[in-house]
Amino acid sequence: MSIMDQNGGSVIAMVGKDCVAIASDLRLGNEALAVSSNFQKIFPITDRIYLGLPGLATDVTTLKERFRFRVNMYTIKEEREIEPETFAHLVSSTLYEHRFGPYYVEPVMAGISKTPSGGFKPFIAATDLIGCLNYAKDFVVAGTASSKLYGVAEGLWEPDLEPEDLFETISQTIMNALDRDAYSGWGCIVHVLTKDKVITRTLKARMD
Amino acid sequence: MDHFPTNWGRPRNDTIDPYGTYPIHQRPKDAFSTGIQRTQHPIVTGTSVLAIKFKDGVMMAADNLASYGSLARFRDIQRLHPVGDNTVIGAGGDMSDFQYLQSILDELMVDEFCASDGHTLGPAEVHNYLSELMYARRSKMDPLWNSLLVGGFKDGKRFLAYVDLLGTTYASSTLATGYGAYIAQPLLRRAVEGNEDTLTKEEARKILEQSMQVLFYRDARSIDQFQIATVTAAGVHISEARKLETSWSFAEGIRGYGAQTQ
Amino acid sequence: MEHSFASPSGHPQPHQRHFNPYSENGGTILAIAGANFSVIAGDTRQSEGYSIQTRYAPKVFRLTDKAVLATNGFAADGNMFVKKVRQRLEWYRHAHSKDMPIRAIARLIQTMLYARRFFPYYVYNILGGIEEDGSGAVYSFDPVGSYEREACRAAGAAQSLVQPFLDNQIYFKNQTPAHGTSHPAHLPLDHVLELVIDSFTSATERHIEVGDGLEIYVVLAKGSTPQVLDRWQGVTEMTTTQDGERMFVIRRNLKRD
Repeated sequence: MSIMDQNGGSVIAMVGKDCVAIASDLRLGNEALAVSSNFQKIFPITDRIYLGLPGLATDVTTLKERFRFRVNMYTIKEEREIEPETFAHLVSSTLYEHRFGPYYVEPVMAGISKTPSGGFKPFIAATDLIGCLNYAKDFVVAGTASSKLYGVAEGLWEPDLEPEDLFETISQTIMNALDRDAYSGWGCIVHVLTKDKVITRTLKARMD
Repeated sequence: MDHFPTNWGRPRNDTIDPYGTYPIHQRPKDAFSTGIQRTQHPIVTGTSVLAIKFKDGVMMAADNLASYGSLARFRDIQRLHPVGDNTVIGAGGDMSDFQYLQSILDELMVDEFCASDGHTLGPAEVHNYLSELMYARRSKMDPLWNSLLVGGFKDGKRFLAYVDLLGTTYASSTLATGYGAYIAQPLLRRAVEGNEDTLTKEEARKILEQSMQVLFYRDARSIDQFQIATVTAAGVHISEARKLETSWSFAEGIRGYGAQTQ
Repeated sequence: MEHSFASPSGHPQPHQRHFNPYSENGGTILAIAGANFSVIAGDTRQSEGYSIQTRYAPKVFRLTDKAVLATNGFAADGNMFVKKVRQRLEWYRHAHSKDMPIRAIARLIQTMLYARRFFPYYVYNILGGIEEDGSGAVYSFDPVGSYEREACRAAGAAQSLVQPFLDNQIYFKNQTPAHGTSHPAHLPLDHVLELVIDSFTSATERHIEVGDGLEIYVVLAKGSTPQVLDRWQGVTEMTTTQDGERMFVIRRNLKRD
């Protein structure tokens, strides 16, 4: 049994038309024994960046605080909000600092970045536990249900989905993947980010 | 059955030991316990075999080396073997197992000849026979440690297929065993796939020769002497052993190859 | 090369290297039952480790005019198992002058698999076809013979990718029908074929052991019309008898990388 699967949990992020979505389950377990059904794995970093941290729960908590600290330091020093691309590199380098004794998490990021011309561009990325960045144009997945998420997302996702359609797609993807994973589930939460708002919904999912 | 009563141990008595706490007798390990030896590993081995389909039939190549570990032990061993008039088999892996297979197949062909029912075994039948044999032996946990290619031409049809010590089988227009599967197979696929019906005998020979050369450069268990078998409507032809043309002038400047100056 | 180790009894024993009689050859299979048809599909790549052994090795086999068996796992076991099932079906034909009904084939497969409980066929089987009452059937098995009849099942290397997609699209899991409506119990044939193709293209995209070719067997119940298949490319009819169930195979390419 891998340390990565000790507590269970999965996260997925998807790109839509001028929007992104990120979703996770709410389970916390000790191997097969479920312990909590409201364990938060997705954290707001700024108004336009959300970070999902599936993996070892203790490292989820540690890293959440660590990223909060580092982003605050960035904001104070730079006197501006961090951009998703920059934050992705922050995540990557933070994890790589521990190359030979890593944090057991696979971060997934979703954000809306500002373009030089003043526009907005959707951004998603994921890294492995030592910070190897993976940018994708469609979707990124991580956690104990990752293979299931890949399968369903590959079948359901299409380009240029509007926010409400993207919400439906990511919700169906995560719920159906979770129902086939013993280590994820017990409810889901979905965030849809657009340039001017974030829609957060808790889904009514199977609780078995 | 163990015929030595001293090995039988103390019988269990339910009135004295109802819960079976007394340890069950373990037969002592003696000279007899290792009497049956079947799970084995290859000893004298052959390396890759390559084969491709071409316009008029099938061509197969294998070098003449049988290694003993890293020692180039036998440098003039034949690893291509004709079976009847339409089939050739090539073997990698244990050479004694292969020679045993040859004797089985030769006997089989004699039996079939004696039946004189007008039927002869073609490559498909030989391959099927070998796959059943190899699978039966693996199921007895007593495998024949080989990767075999079966090629042939009968009734206007080309045949080329693989079978190994697990009984795994497959067919393809290019096949390679051992290191050839990693090094030569990509070269063969690039040259042959889609051209099976246009490649001439000469072109096919050239493709195999080049692949054997690449293998000789990179596979430490290979040798620069090889044979090519050709099966066409005219029958099986296995060439004399030939030397590979190799060039080592590039090694001159490489440290570790040629004479060192410092 | 040989090492000697002291055994618990104190006698030196030669270290026996273990011969592993099994291998895994990748690939994925899938079957979906309709109201009066059954679709059984599999990719045609055979691999071992990172090597593609061949781009065309069938994993789906016609057993009778109304039964198709898909096998996945260790190819040598799979081929041998299909051979033995076919042999038993032939004996049945000789004894009873008819083809074995599919529910009986399913039970036969269970007993044949369980007979090898302590040296199993390392194979996941999916049996598809038409039941005696004319309904489409899918039976799925584990390597030692546990089985059940289902409406759909995926197995093999990409099972974890395909099965949750099928839950969603076939069983409409996590989908609530609009007020006053309900989800269909069975999907029409062309819709099922679209889902099969989508499943395999998705699996090919994300799994290295899936690809090269796709073989889709379609079994139609007695009296049903094969018109739907007219708009499909690469259809070959495999029916051998008159006025019974009809069988077709659709062959397509998948990505080869």
